[in-house]
Amino acid sequence: MPSMQPYTDPRYFCILLLALAPLVLGLLRGRRHRNYESIVSLVFIVLMFAGPKWQQGVSLIVYVAWQFGLICAYAHYRKHNNAGWVYYLTLFAVILPLAIVKITPAVAGGQPSLIGFLGISYLSFKAIGTLMEMRDGAIKELRPLLYLSFLLFMPTISSGPIDRYRHFAKSYDNAPSRDKYLDMLSHGVRYLFQGFLYKYIIGYYFGTILLPIVARRALLDRAAAGGTGISLALVAYMYVYSMYLFFDFAGYSLFAVSVSNFMGIDTPMNFNQPFRAKNIKDFWNRWHMSLSFWFRDYVFMRITFFTMKHRWFKKRVHISQFAYLCNFLIMGFWHGVTWYYITYGIFHACAIIINDIWLRFKKGKKLPSNRWTNALAIFVTFNVVCFSFLIFSGFLNKLWFTTAIR
Amino acid sequence: MKRRLWQILGPVLCACILVFGALLLPLRFGAPSAREVHSAAVSLNRDVLSGERMKKAAVRRGYVPFIGSSELSRMDPFHPSVLAQKYHRNYNTLLLGDPGTQDLSQFVDNQSLLGKLRGKKVVFIISPQWFTAGGQRSDAFAYYYSPLEMSGWLLHKRGGLADRYAARRILAMGNTKGAVHAALLSVAAGQKLSWPVRTQLRAQHQLLLNEDNLFSRTLHSGRPAKITRAAAKLPAHATDAQLAKLADKMGRRCSRNNPFGINDGFFRKRLYGRKLARLAGSQQNFDYRRSPEYSDLELLLHEFARNRINVQFIIPPVNARWADYTGLPRDMMTETASKIKYQLRSQGFDHILDMTTDAKKSAYMEDTIHLGWRGWVAVDKTVHPFLERKLPAPHYHLQNRFYTHKWQQTVMGANHE
Repeated sequence: MPSMQPYTDPRYFCILLLALAPLVLGLLRGRRHRNYESIVSLVFIVLMFAGPKWQQGVSLIVYVAWQFGLICAYAHYRKHNNAGWVYYLTLFAVILPLAIVKITPAVAGGQPSLIGFLGISYLSFKAIGTLMEMRDGAIKELRPLLYLSFLLFMPTISSGPIDRYRHFAKSYDNAPSRDKYLDMLSHGVRYLFQGFLYKYIIGYYFGTILLPIVARRALLDRAAAGGTGISLALVAYMYVYSMYLFFDFAGYSLFAVSVSNFMGIDTPMNFNQPFRAKNIKDFWNRWHMSLSFWFRDYVFMRITFFTMKHRWFKKRVHISQFAYLCNFLIMGFWHGVTWYYITYGIFHACAIIINDIWLRFKKGKKLPSNRWTNALAIFVTFNVVCFSFLIFSGFLNKLWFTTAIR
Repeated sequence: MKRRLWQILGPVLCACILVFGALLLPLRFGAPSAREVHSAAVSLNRDVLSGERMKKAAVRRGYVPFIGSSELSRMDPFHPSVLAQKYHRNYNTLLLGDPGTQDLSQFVDNQSLLGKLRGKKVVFIISPQWFTAGGQRSDAFAYYYSPLEMSGWLLHKRGGLADRYAARRILAMGNTKGAVHAALLSVAAGQKLSWPVRTQLRAQHQLLLNEDNLFSRTLHSGRPAKITRAAAKLPAHATDAQLAKLADKMGRRCSRNNPFGINDGFFRKRLYGRKLARLAGSQQNFDYRRSPEYSDLELLLHEFARNRINVQFIIPPVNARWADYTGLPRDMMTETASKIKYQLRSQGFDHILDMTTDAKKSAYMEDTIHLGWRGWVAVDKTVHPFLERKLPAPHYHLQNRFYTHKWQQTVMGANHE
């Protein structure tokens, strides 16, 4: 049996929408068929890992059992106790599988880890967030089956957007009213078609048609500019790749939100016109939002509070700078333990720290602010971001450290 | 609620009908204009190579396919396309090839074209550099792979040794999937295609055909302008000898920053400094005599023979001064050319221009392995009469032994033609 990757071809959409039809009809009548929903989700998850990918499927089952056991055990413990070391131990255990999967290729010469599967990162993000909120006491009571549906929510399982347990529960517990659901449906259709436009027309054009051409040109020019490979083609690659990355991923995210909408679940949006950002901070509020907000709440804020509590720094500014650095370093490592992902993380940390310094410097000064300065800000931010995506793409690695093609 | 639902789902329904209608119905599209064809024929664009529409239209308008690889993009004033335009030859050039297109790529991508060439002529530039131990590079194959041509090939009756060999070779490239993959497995095993696979292939073929028809018209190429600029550097009338003299002069003027006679720009960009030192003696162990490419070549010969196409083969040399510098063994090159020529001649392919003995001539090569200036003039000296003359229908007698591993690994002495 061949495996079926989510949102890859028209066939997938046809089968998925047919399978969801009974659910849609139920919701139109104000009823949520939770059992049917679980079965459909399960079937599609099995299809994702069927055939040659069965090993990933086994990993997924073991992984879910592991996370489910850990979180339920902690939930049980947390009802009456709240010792720090139990929390840290559980956190370590929750992060462990993801860490192994991310570190393995770096130490095993590019060989992927045996316990990895498509979507492990996003499941881990959900699990970690849930654990932290239990520690905070924000989640008073964890319902095991609901937690399982949340973790394995099919539309977002492979690449997000990352929902939060409490937000998901609110959607899942109630069926939306008919009017509300009709609104969701009409938005869902809109997002679906916007996703088609983004991923299969614009993203396809940049990624499948233009990218190989500019990549070829750039590789042919690898001796340019004194052996650095910096050529016009490389600059073109930078922009083409950035466009491809955005439209491909934004399209994908739109599909996930759209299908969630059909299922009557409100999943957060992932992108909000990121290339119109006026500075790097603004950019991260618009780009891969569910991830950057996740990092803000569970990494940046935690580090900030931790360092404040332990008085590591005297100045507030240094606290946030340190937190930014950690935040983006971790994000870099999460993308993969390679020099270019880590450099990408450091680059963004530096960019946002510089941005911060500039914003503080600007405060209280009477600098001109008009249409032109705004345009300049957007232009500069856009180029800084595109450059960071060039690092992220790993193309420089290919350009500099692999042998030439003839 | 019903009204609201119609408002939401109605447009979706319309979109589905429009999309499937446009892709799956056997629609007819008008033929491309002369200008479109002219631009496509010299564009070296991947979509032209892997599509059907432009190539077929070009052949209908009397264009002659020049099948080759990277040398086709070396458009100095003596390039075949420039000479054909400048001197109003009775033929136009349809350039098919780019870096990395070897025999197998050309075999797949030109299936529909070869069928239209019955009784016509083709110029085929065989680079010795293709004949490496691995043969066709799989990444390049995937880059130029044409699902349209592939599914068209599979939908014809398949069976003989050549078909089975071709299917095996294509499968070895590792980039096929779905119905095409299943069909290739069947052909390789000598079995008929099952009807679900055949039905799927047919739908896929129609879809790709419509796609080719719809999207091959959005092509823009700077190459026609480049050719016109190059043509402007030529005199209005010239004999072969005058052309050769001019080419020599131009070539020398353009290759002054290095001792190899390599184009200045190419040398500055690709070989300057440390790079050059690293390449000294780097090609001592190159060997083009043993390669699966010989059997891939046979696949193309099989197509030429089946369609009774008259083919002018050209075997370009390697820049001799560059070969000496990199240590590329001269005997090996001679033996490679001998083996190729033997394979051609013994099956009745007699129009061969072997240029490997001319590697030392000045301004012959534009860079390390690509023809330029005087090299192109020499090509023209053979190709021009070949294309203008009326030729009798060829008689080829193919031999299956050229598909064997034994032949791929056979090394021939230079005098063994």
